Amino acid sequence: MKVIEKSTLIGKRIAKLDAPEKAAGMTRYVHDLDLPGQLHARILRSTRVHARIKRIDTRRARALAGVHAVLTAADVPYQRPLGVGKDQLPLKGDKVRSLRDEIAAVAADTEAIAEAALALIDVEYEDLPTLTDPADALKPGAPVIHGETLASPAPHDALKPGEPGDAEAHRHNVAMTFDYAQGDLAAGEAESDVIVDDWFRLHYVTHCCMGVSGIIAEFDRSGNLTLHSNTQVPFLHKREFAEILGMDPGRIRIIQPPIGGGFGSKLDIYPFEPICVFLAKATRRPVKLVFSREEEFIASPTRQPVLLRLRSGAKKDGTLTFRDCETLHDNGAYTSWGATTPFVMMQTISSLYRVPHCKYHTTAVYTNNPYAGSFRGYGNLQATFAVEQQIDELAEKLGIDPLEMRLKNAQDPGEITPQGMHFQTCGLKECLRTAAEVSDYRARHAAALAAQHSPQRYKRGVGMASMLHVGGGAKIYPSDGCGTILKIDDFAHVTLITGASEIGQGSETVLAQLVCEELGIPLDTVSVVNNDTDITPWDVGVHASRTTFIGGNSAIGAARKAKAKVLAAAAKTTGIPEAELELRAGHIVRTATGEALVSLAKLLRSLHFSDKAELVMTTFYYEPPSKHQDKSFKGDVSAAYAWATQVVEVEVDTDTGVVRLLKVTGAHDVGRVLNRLGIEGQIEGGIVMGQGYAITEDLMVDGGVVRNPGFRDYKLVTAPEIPEMEVRFIETMDGEGPQGAKGVGEAPAICIAAATANAICNATGVRIRELPFTPEKVYRALHRAGVPAGPTGGD
Amino acid sequence: MAVEHYWAPTSLSDALEHLRGGDVTVLAGGTDLMPQTQAGRVSLERGLLNVRRVAELHRIERVDGAVRIGALCTITEIMRDPLVGEHFAMLADACDHFASDQLRNAATIGGNVCNASPAGDTLVPLLVLDAEAELASKPGARVERRRVPLADFFVGPGRTRRAPDELLCAIRLPLPPPGFVGRFFKFGTRPALDIAAISIGIGGVRDGRTLVQARVAYGAVAAVPLRARRTEAALEGAALDAATADGVAATARDEVRPIDDLRASAWYRKELVFNMTRRILHDVAEA
Ligand SMILES: Cc1cc2nc3c(=O)[nH]c(=O)nc-3n(C[C@H](O)[C@H](O)[C@H](O)COP(=O)(O)OP(=O)(O)OC[C@H]3O[C@@H](n4cnc5c(N)ncnc54)[C@H](O)[C@@H]3O)c2cc1C
Repeated sequence: MKVIEKSTLIGKRIAKLDAPEKAAGMTRYVHDLDLPGQLHARILRSTRVHARIKRIDTRRARALAGVHAVLTAADVPYQRPLGVGKDQLPLKGDKVRSLRDEIAAVAADTEAIAEAALALIDVEYEDLPTLTDPADALKPGAPVIHGETLASPAPHDALKPGEPGDAEAHRHNVAMTFDYAQGDLAAGEAESDVIVDDWFRLHYVTHCCMGVSGIIAEFDRSGNLTLHSNTQVPFLHKREFAEILGMDPGRIRIIQPPIGGGFGSKLDIYPFEPICVFLAKATRRPVKLVFSREEEFIASPTRQPVLLRLRSGAKKDGTLTFRDCETLHDNGAYTSWGATTPFVMMQTISSLYRVPHCKYHTTAVYTNNPYAGSFRGYGNLQATFAVEQQIDELAEKLGIDPLEMRLKNAQDPGEITPQGMHFQTCGLKECLRTAAEVSDYRARHAAALAAQHSPQRYKRGVGMASMLHVGGGAKIYPSDGCGTILKIDDFAHVTLITGASEIGQGSETVLAQLVCEELGIPLDTVSVVNNDTDITPWDVGVHASRTTFIGGNSAIGAARKAKAKVLAAAAKTTGIPEAELELRAGHIVRTATGEALVSLAKLLRSLHFSDKAELVMTTFYYEPPSKHQDKSFKGDVSAAYAWATQVVEVEVDTDTGVVRLLKVTGAHDVGRVLNRLGIEGQIEGGIVMGQGYAITEDLMVDGGVVRNPGFRDYKLVTAPEIPEMEVRFIETMDGEGPQGAKGVGEAPAICIAAATANAICNATGVRIRELPFTPEKVYRALHRAGVPAGPTGGD
Repeated sequence: MAVEHYWAPTSLSDALEHLRGGDVTVLAGGTDLMPQTQAGRVSLERGLLNVRRVAELHRIERVDGAVRIGALCTITEIMRDPLVGEHFAMLADACDHFASDQLRNAATIGGNVCNASPAGDTLVPLLVLDAEAELASKPGARVERRRVPLADFFVGPGRTRRAPDELLCAIRLPLPPPGFVGRFFKFGTRPALDIAAISIGIGGVRDGRTLVQARVAYGAVAAVPLRARRTEAALEGAALDAATADGVAATARDEVRPIDDLRASAWYRKELVFNMTRRILHDVAEA
């Protein structure tokens, strides 16, 4: 008798399915695709920050040999507004509002010809007064960026309150506003023994995807449009493309080649995408448009820059009393997802810790600056930066240990916050204790405090920060679902067809793993199809750390249905009741003994070729039990919430202001570890992204101009700067999660900046509320605070 | 203008003949030239002269009282060369702070010198080491050579005293006097792949508690890599103690003429010059 023991894949270290191809350089990104007859496109962008377009002359460009089309707004009268705010046309005809503005586009035989044609387009501008400091936007007499345009934006039914402003708001440069309140702020203030009140300034950074933006558009002769696109939201984009192009969404097919990084940058539609379609339409040829790296820096979205004022109060015993937060979001010239980051920011303000009384306000104002999109963490890095610094400040004022202060106010499982979030599982206290213990936080914090004024060149310190983020999807659209189709062929090979997109995060591997776990089959017998809207079932896209959770539950649902079918058939052939059978290692086994009864492949073939022939093919649609927020932003928007605490140890060079991260200790409530290798990579990558945000990365925007559009002066973290990392996983086994897991894609990037700020303060006694902590900024802050450069004597 | 001629000669004499007309761009490692032309900041001349195959420009050799480093020697080669390591450790150190391995394998010292960036990493140690530029041209039948002290070679950012028909053949470094100590410091915001926000070179001969024949140079603090004569005078023969270090560092802070740019403000550059000059002097005193 052949016996097969029960085994599991959960928690194992599993290499990504696409790793061999990627490591060998064989993955075919959109950049590597070339279609027969394809033309190449380039876009002419504004050279002015704010100006009326008086005249565009494309005659010389059109006359250039090899040029097939030159388009301006005048050539596409049918174009419609796009993006979250529907406040821009793909090609600008009347005026430009930022340096990235698209004025004309060329399709030519080669990229070089297209580029040469751009230089032959003459544009005459009439400069308008510019508005590049958001603080000026609301002042009387400020230049108006939008007032005169787009009568009234089309309603965007994907959005709830906090919708894009109307024409009247636009006349005052207001793109969006958000207001949230809970409790009674005045009562909270009255019961406070201490109050802190600070301004925080968060800067521009950008995603820096390895693969720059790109798209190929082609029409067939029946007028069907195929897009080879890097989008993170294929199904919603079908509809948006249809709206912008004025065509039937049913005629649009979106194929996603492997995507060279997303991080949120590909969540909105950007002008270059419909422009590429216009060119394909005009030339009746496939057209490919790929950004240069410089263009990627200038014309792809940024993280939302924020000016934030936070007031927090606490009682003598450390109990938090209130929070009052007000932010000014620089919306840039147009409205994309960046403006909607308050959805997430207010959650951190209201619910990361228990705070009875809260008020939150955001005004997002138009300026002539670049505009922000969604970016891993979605406003949470910004909010956490402020909240977690003030926890340390309050603790210091009250003479309470910062860890105790956090533990005292931390959420517990079962809590329903005033904002309506229900924490079915919550590992925050365990995260706090674990991170503190593993990093030896208390002892190091005390030692650094004691050494703060000693004359050393290098000063060390530790800082802590925690975070709360959605971990079970986020119901920002009317639905947050994902569909799966699963088929098992005659050879017991499974094809998993999922709506969930892969953008390098490892989703296809974890989905395959979850299916294997249900069906008891080896990982190399699963193929995942996830990139073609004509084939895959619906999904709202890859964002909000949702894919493992939502796509995973959907895949499990389909696998369970397939398993039920298989076991029912096996029961028939073996005569053993279904309840006593199981699938293990590609076989039907008797659960009690592990005895292998028949191979799965053989059983499937017999099913298929029998007189009552049947294929095992199932579908499943998972919709999480989360809720839409109501008009006042209250509601349980996620089916689960992820938690984490990170402790950062820094060394500050008082001679130069250089801050080095020595070590990051993270404790993450991930629900459950599915693919250990995958989650380690996700956490480590997120920490490094957070490190870039905190210390090195800075998209310098000056008078509306990006001054460092290249990797020489935009400084990503390099290998030698990466700190030692020690990560512990807190497994709270979420009841709703796939095998107990929660989403963690965004979580690891969120705390680093806040924890680093606290660590610098612990080391030097100087608190810096402005990012990034570049050497000069830190040096200036130390200098201003009177911290001397390290004396030259013994250190 | 489009390139009409491309040459890749193997002898210096041939190379110089191509250069005679002057409207020729010299190509060595290309790590400055290629990005500069692609960004549209430099346009190529009518002729493009690839000098990389001229073997006689690619040697490091001992000549009487000096070492000649061929213009084509790469940063990696210089960093690993035993003669350089023995006599000019601060130059090897600068090479070890240069860009990344890939760049170091392609970038030449001749290119670094002729590109004349105030932030060029080898330039500061070369100034401290009293280097001379060896230039050659061929106006007639014979190859003519001249030497220019590096301290006089740089005219402005990207500009040197090299005539259009001249090629930089080598950098000549006199052997330092016995007891010479040299220190190089580069400040960038990260440990690799960074252009200096400032750099410092200090050298001299230890004489008891003092430093004599003091030579000091700074990078990225003026239009050219700066030989800091006033700072040298303040340092010359003074006792290496804390008061001297402070005084010399203050003189240096006064002498440098930095600007604000993306990498750093002028104020911060001056602070770094002061703090790090002080620290280097302290380290030299302790050594
Ligand atoms: C990513 C990156 C990082 C960098 N990091 C650093 C760094 O950390 N430190 C640093 O100092 N530099 C750095 N550089 C700049 C560059 O690598 C150096 O200046 C290098 O030494 C140039 O040498 P090359 O041989 O590549 O010169 P090329 O680009 O070939 O030439 C540079 C200039 O010198 C002229 N030239 C070259 N050789 C001769 C000759 N023999 N006679 C006459 N004229 C000549 C050329 O015509 C050209 O004008 C970096 C460049 C890049 C792209």
